[in-house]
Amino acid sequence: MRTGICIFMAAFIALGASWCGFVLAPMLQLGGAKQTVILQSADNWPQQRTGEATLGLQVYRAYGCAACHTEQVRQTGAAFEVTLTSLGTQKAADFKDFIKSLMVVPDLATSSNSIVGSLDKWNGELPKTLYSGDDGDVASALADHLKPVGVKTETRIIATGPDIARGWGSRQSVAADYLYDAPVQLGSLRAGPDLANIGVRAPDANWQWQHLYAPKSTTPNSTMPSFKFLFEVRAVGAAPSPDALKLAGAFAPAAGFEVVPKPEAKELAAYLLSLKANVPLYEAPFTPVTLAK
Amino acid sequence: MSAENPAAPTVTESAAPRSAAPMWIIVVTLLLLFLGGYYFDQHSGWFNAKVYAPYANAEKLNSFQPQSGETQRIARGKFVYDSVCGICHGADGLGKPGQAPPLAASEMVICKGVSRLAHIPLAGLNGPIKVCGKDWSLSMAAMGAALPDEDVAAVLTYIRTSWGNQAGPVTADDVKKVRADMGRNAPALTGVQLLNLPE
Repeated sequence: MRTGICIFMAAFIALGASWCGFVLAPMLQLGGAKQTVILQSADNWPQQRTGEATLGLQVYRAYGCAACHTEQVRQTGAAFEVTLTSLGTQKAADFKDFIKSLMVVPDLATSSNSIVGSLDKWNGELPKTLYSGDDGDVASALADHLKPVGVKTETRIIATGPDIARGWGSRQSVAADYLYDAPVQLGSLRAGPDLANIGVRAPDANWQWQHLYAPKSTTPNSTMPSFKFLFEVRAVGAAPSPDALKLAGAFAPAAGFEVVPKPEAKELAAYLLSLKANVPLYEAPFTPVTLAK
Repeated sequence: MSAENPAAPTVTESAAPRSAAPMWIIVVTLLLLFLGGYYFDQHSGWFNAKVYAPYANAEKLNSFQPQSGETQRIARGKFVYDSVCGICHGADGLGKPGQAPPLAASEMVICKGVSRLAHIPLAGLNGPIKVCGKDWSLSMAAMGAALPDEDVAAVLTYIRTSWGNQAGPVTADDVKKVRADMGRNAPALTGVQLLNLPE
């Protein structure tokens, strides 16, 4: 009997510990997640999806899109970038000398080698990145020192990493991005590209339909299977449908016919277009290009 | 084996001596615990839901937040102005006849000091007053009383630097000072009272 109690206790503790780690702790950490405010804006993130896009999430789930696509962008670093955008009335050579003379300033001393080194082979083309590193004090000190001499600089916060270099997003995915996803379609295998901001990369619904109907029509080397059954090939009626797919060449239907999306295809495309993780948040800051102009 | 053959006590296995664990194992364990604790402290963000790698902790994350510079203050001011003030004073700052006097080129707005100007949104304004050579007799509620100091400062900075106005910025401390001088629930000012205030 004693052994039975021991086995029960051991099993209870083992299961209880993993329940605490996998269920309780994440719930305590993120269970109360709410909409957050987009940095330097009064808008909230994320916005609730339209009804069509919400249905599209279930289509995405039903056809197993998450088996080959992820919805999570990873980030390996973050940096401040001070970029010279205008020399004003200064000459490039004078500016170089001025930068060299600046490097004795104590705020900049730690990064002087990289700043001066980056100017070695520079012959005046703009924009020129003067500093790129993770020290915000150096970046702001450099910008402050350059302000009074009449040159224009721009300080940006950028997220770095292979996914971001591929153009799959401006920052990493964070929990807030999935607030209205049920269930969350994170995915774990990338036979296809990440879709966290596909709504920004390919904002045209017709492009999404073409890609679902005949993936090779939009992406020649695609290995994605065709989802033709989400579309209807029908004779053109009195007038061509406004939703008809703009297919060309070998992918186009026979003359007098048109390819139109069924409701499921429209929902799936609406969902894909709603994936737009491109706003800066407190937990994932970056400087959007539009703001920096 | 020895229990079966009591006649041969010489082969009895002696119990292993209860020796203490070697010192080096204890030292290595403590060292590993220390390193683990240090790594946890440096990289966990202490379970903060807002801290993700590569930001090691909330401090590091805060250092990457956009700086709040003058341009950002003015952008904030425009936002507050459009949502609070612009409805009557107009998005162009030219005012609306019968509703609100202009702010563009108004001597109330572009004056040197900021104390008198800050009184208007904080206390409200009632009755006749002359703005840009025209007589106005309207009533403005204390629209800024419920706003935080930073927002009042931002919106005042915005109106002092927009539509051709070129006056200096207003800081949150200025607003705070005026608010403290005024006291809570101050009655709305009249035009005469306002002009008697120091700039």
